Amino acid sequence: MKNRIKQVALLVLVGFSTLAIAQQDTAIQVKSTLDMQVAQLPPAVVNDWKPGKSRFLLRGYSHSGLEITEEEISFVGGSFNPLLLFRQSDRLLFEGELEMELEGGETHIGLEYANMSYLLTDALTLRAGKFLVPFGTFVPNLHPAWINKFPSRPLGAGHDGIMPGSDIGIELRGAAYLGPVKTNYSVYAINGPQLNSGDIEAEEGGVLHYALVPDNNKDKTIGGRIGFFPMSNSALEIGISGLYGKVGDKDSKYEDVAAMLYAVDMSYVRNLPGISSVLDIKAQYTAVKVEDAEYPEPDEPGETHTFDNSSTTWFAQLSLRPAFVENKFFQNLEVAGRYSKLTTPEGAPWEVDQDQWEIGLNYWLDWRTLFKFSYRTISGEAGGHGGEEAEGGGDAFFIHWAIGF
Amino acid sequence: MKKIPIIIGLFAVIAAIVISSSCATTSDIASAKSGAQLWGENCLRCHNTPSPETFSDTEWDVAVMHMRVRANLTENEATKIAEFLKTAN
Ligand code: HEC
Repeated sequence: MKNRIKQVALLVLVGFSTLAIAQQDTAIQVKSTLDMQVAQLPPAVVNDWKPGKSRFLLRGYSHSGLEITEEEISFVGGSFNPLLLFRQSDRLLFEGELEMELEGGETHIGLEYANMSYLLTDALTLRAGKFLVPFGTFVPNLHPAWINKFPSRPLGAGHDGIMPGSDIGIELRGAAYLGPVKTNYSVYAINGPQLNSGDIEAEEGGVLHYALVPDNNKDKTIGGRIGFFPMSNSALEIGISGLYGKVGDKDSKYEDVAAMLYAVDMSYVRNLPGISSVLDIKAQYTAVKVEDAEYPEPDEPGETHTFDNSSTTWFAQLSLRPAFVENKFFQNLEVAGRYSKLTTPEGAPWEVDQDQWEIGLNYWLDWRTLFKFSYRTISGEAGGHGGEEAEGGGDAFFIHWAIGF
Repeated sequence: MKKIPIIIGLFAVIAAIVISSSCATTSDIASAKSGAQLWGENCLRCHNTPSPETFSDTEWDVAVMHMRVRANLTENEATKIAEFLKTAN
């Protein structure tokens, strides 16, 4: 068994080192030759190829890899997220992203987001549609495979996590300077989370589900985020987010039950000339509070129970890349570590109290393509929702190859 | 658990900023910065700094507009960054 792991690891390493050949091309020469050729063409011909105002870009990201747990070794991947961007004019932009994944034997297609933005003023943009909810920093900014330093996500920030992913609604966002301090802000109204009453599955009573359509009530969830850059070089950002709305089904006894979420996030990225490296620190704390309600008791029909429906999760990650050393190989290496903790309500059937460590060594082929060699370990009590199923303690070794287009 | 005041507070702060900022979208510090400097300071906050040679001029127009919205850049910052990327690609 150990030998097989070694063989596979060796195979991957050999493949990857052959790929890491530097590609210094002669782009500058080609460009100047092109410029000369274009200059010789009659103006009418050149004008035929002049781009119009409306522009389109097809981008996205993907990853594949190998995952080794105590029970199994499997190739994973084939995950593919195409991103379509339409710049209709200087002010109007549409962004749409799909998420294609293999689940069991089937290809699952999800709509990550689809929204349009209109740049109202220098400092204000109006957005409508399905967008990544600007709650904290991980979901809107850090989750794409080529940005996330690890193959796994912080606890509670996954697809079944305790914080919002994308949702449908309307948003005003932008940036401005308060004297010397740069700020950014967002306010929005979305359909918002929906409360699982436990009527169908008592084990899920009290859980919040995100991005379900249509909404279960007339009340809209409102929220916002405000970020500050206390340093004039924008190295440090501190953000505060909040979200509030009724979550129960209309005309049910949960109709008036509301949920309040808040988060504090930070990001600090700077060069450390002393050790020729780039230091990147990110962190987020999230708290979720759902008002008290009675939920059906699992296994005891007719009985109900209640609990303090509060969950919290936080993560902190640090990475260091010696990007400015002479050696080409070491320039592209990055070490990264992340801790995360998730606590869901005590006494709930879906109670979780878990810790996760992720440590990794990354090799960057270019600014948006990397190999991740990571080890993850999860400890603590696993429940039904939000946490990782801790089979074999949830320990796993990953080799992922992620690419942004 | 009536935390609505917090949300209202948040709204008020943002409203205040938006109103006060309608004439202050660029501070003196920011308007003194070059496109290259703004690119170096802003485009590595979430991912690695994108290299200018990745895209053509017309492609950068779209990508920078996308990032203007995603990363909340002011118009002044986005314009300067796009200009820099288009001269350095
Ligand atoms: C607030 C975080 C953040 C900042 C700051 C940021 N980006 Fe991005 N960028 C992202 C995310 C997230 C994506 C991935 C988009 C997706 O797939 O949903 C991305 C993707 C991209 C892409 C791939 C194509 C695309 O449009 O998605 C390019 C190019 C890019 N960014 C350039 C830039 C440049 C240039 C800057 C500096 C002005 C910048 N980024 C600053 C978060 C950021």
